[in-house]
This record gives sequence, C-alpha cells and structure tokens, in this order.
Amino acid sequence: MTEYEGIVKMLRFFVQTRNFSYVDRIGNALNPEPVEVALLEALRAFRSIRESASVDENGGRYIEKDGNKILLPGIPSGEEVMGFLKDVRSDTGVAKLVATLALAYPSKKENSGGDV
Amino acid sequence: MFLSVGVRFEANVEALNMVETAGNYGKHRRVPYLVEEDGRLKTVYVPAMSGESLAHAYQEHLVNEALSADLPVCDDCWRMEFYKSMNKVHLKKKVDPIPDDPKKIEEAIVKACVVEDVGGFLYAEKPPVRRSSAFQVSYALPVKSVALFATSEPQLHARHAQMDASSKKGNASEQMIYYVETGTALYGFTFNLDLDAVGVSAITSKPILDENEIKKRREASLKALFRMLSSGQFGAKLSRFFPVGGITELVVSVTEHPFVVTSPIYDDYLEKTQRRLKVLESFGEEYLFTAATGEKVPEEALKEAIDYLHEKGAF
Ligand SMILES: [Zn+2]
Repeated sequence: MTEYEGIVKMLRFFVQTRNFSYVDRIGNALNPEPVEVALLEALRAFRSIRESASVDENGGRYIEKDGNKILLPGIPSGEEVMGFLKDVRSDTGVAKLVATLALAYPSKKENSGGDV
Repeated sequence: MFLSVGVRFEANVEALNMVETAGNYGKHRRVPYLVEEDGRLKTVYVPAMSGESLAHAYQEHLVNEALSADLPVCDDCWRMEFYKSMNKVHLKKKVDPIPDDPKKIEEAIVKACVVEDVGGFLYAEKPPVRRSSAFQVSYALPVKSVALFATSEPQLHARHAQMDASSKKGNASEQMIYYVETGTALYGFTFNLDLDAVGVSAITSKPILDENEIKKRREASLKALFRMLSSGQFGAKLSRFFPVGGITELVVSVTEHPFVVTSPIYDDYLEKTQRRLKVLESFGEEYLFTAATGEKVPEEALKEAIDYLHEKGAF
C-alpha cells in the first residue's frame, strides 16, 4: 500500500484531529462514487487547513488542537489520486484497506511534515 | 388523532444545514441519492437538511407557543437548549430528590415541560428513562424528478479588519476570504404528529395530565408547526442566506390512527396519498385530507386541519 501513502497520511491527519468523517465514508463505501466524493471533499478541506496552518522553524506545517501540535503531511499527488480512484473502480476493497491503514498506528516514526 | 404533513419547498441559494468547517470552507450537508436516468439507477450527491435540524426548529417554535399559552417549559428548553433531562444535573432542576421509579421520573418531566412531553427525552442514568417523540420529521431531500438539477455551490465572501501597520501581526491579512457552500433545490419532507401521545405516559399508556391540559398542549403543538412553516424560521444561516423561494405545495392528512402521507419527493404523492386514504375509508376510518397545490395557500390547508381537529374534540 506504499503507493497510496500520501492519501493514507492525509486521512491519518484527519483521524488525529478526531474528524472521522472522511475515513469512515471511504472505508464504508459500497461503490466507488462515495469514495470519489469523500476524497474530493477531504482534499478540499485539507488544502483549506494547510493554507491557514502555522509553519515551524523547520518549515513544517502544523496545527494545534487541544494543546497538541499536529504536523500536516503533504498533499497527495495527482498521480497517486488517479491511481487510487482507478483501483477503487475495479475493487472497492482498496478503499477499505486505505481507510484501515489510516486508522492504524503508523509503523515507524514518520516525518509527517511532508513538503514545505 | 394522527396528523401527517408533506411539504415541498423551493429554496434557492440556502445554507440551511451546514456541516463541518475546514479552514475557510463551510460545507453544506449532502447525501447520496438514488435516481433513475435512462432506465438505469445511479447515485448522485444532493444537498439536504437533516431531520434533527428541522426538529430543533420545531421545538423552538413549540417553546414560544407553549409560553404564550401559559404552559410549562423547563429552564433548559426555555433557553432553546434541548438537553431533555439527559442526566441528574438537568433532571434535578425539575424534581429533587430524583425518584427511583421510572414512571415517577417520566411524570415529573412531562408535567414540567411541554417540549419534553411532545419532543421526547432520554434520561441516561440509573434507571434510564426514555420517552419517544410524539412528532417525527424526515430529512428534507430534493424532489426525485428534479434531483439531478439540485446544486451545491461555494460562494466567496470576505470579512474585513481595519489594521494599521503597527497592529499588523506576522502575515495576518486585512481581509479574510471564506467560502460558504450553498444549496439550491426543490425539497420535500414529511412531518408527523401523534396527538394521542401528548400528555400520556410512554410507560403505562395512561394520561399523566388532565384532559384540559392535554388539549392545550395539542393546540400548542399544532400552532408551532403552523408558525414554523408559515415563517420559514427553520435551518441555519438565515440572517444572510434566507432561502429565496418558499413552500410550493403542502398536503395534510388527519386520521384516527397513524397514517403517513406519501413522501413529497415523488411527483404523484398527492394522488397516491388520496388513494391510500380511500382504502382506510373502506375500513370505516374517518379522515381529513387537504392540499395546498393550486388555489389554496399552505396556511389555509393547515388551518383546515386545525379546524377539523377542533371539531373532532382533539382540543
Ligand atoms: Zn424541557
């Protein structure tokens, strides 16, 4: 699933901010349309949040929630999104897997700051 | 007696039900919708309003109607904060000490508050006590035949702040732009009111209040519905996004026992409802059916239903 790392990281960011709506909609979708819509909305919201995020001394973007600093990953690339949606069209199970990974604890300490 | 209302309303550029805000983007509620196109079913996402949002508005009107009829409303509901005796802290304001018997708890709440009598409550302690709402409301959804024309569209707005160079901090901007997603559709929803449940225990099915009080509460419940529909005071962001449009059609049925009008999201809902009622009639049940689709305005149809209920001795 490393090919959808960007999407997983973005969804994980929403999970960290206790917004489960996107990950639930992507993970519970019965057909590809809801995945498309949820991903579109997630990307739209994520861009909005990035725009107003603070920048730390290392150039990483972050927001503060309940006193915790949450780093923002990069925006998933167009190719990644294209590949993901194409895969979801042939097998909705891919969406479920991505959502499950987003809910899981990351396997190693990630440099979630992403791009600057 | 059971009242059921089907409402169709046109709302252009409304923000009646907003869900999360992400950064500077406020989103309209949207739901997946199954529509038929060229003989095939497909899922489309359409703007919608939740039943919760409509129910909240109805209960606000109920507070006002109850107060003007000198009926009891608890302090929480009076402030339009519908906690509904959810825990000891809120229940203690109505009855202290709190009784152990669920029947006694229900009685105390119903006596103290019309909103919780009509709108139900959930006391989530030991023992838990729950009362179903006497009124029911659906989501407002676009009418099926035109659902494909429903839109939700973000509108750009700006908020200004006056700042001189000295007070400017970091990269703070003098104007903040934000987007509000607005919906446009012909919506339909259903509202039901079980008048027999007002003032009656949900546990024992016996009246908690005397007949006179029950009749007054029924009347207040109907007036609240009338006021809500007539004033268009439901949903969010009315101060700047008051929907352009209004009720286009409305049907009402009053039956002796529960009966729900066919959902107004279907184009033939009026005929279907009438046909269904004819069957009830053949079982010997009396009913009233009235519709505001052409000549009649919605208020006239609702008034007819209220008059009929009055005649029947419901209040
Ligand atoms: Zn109350």
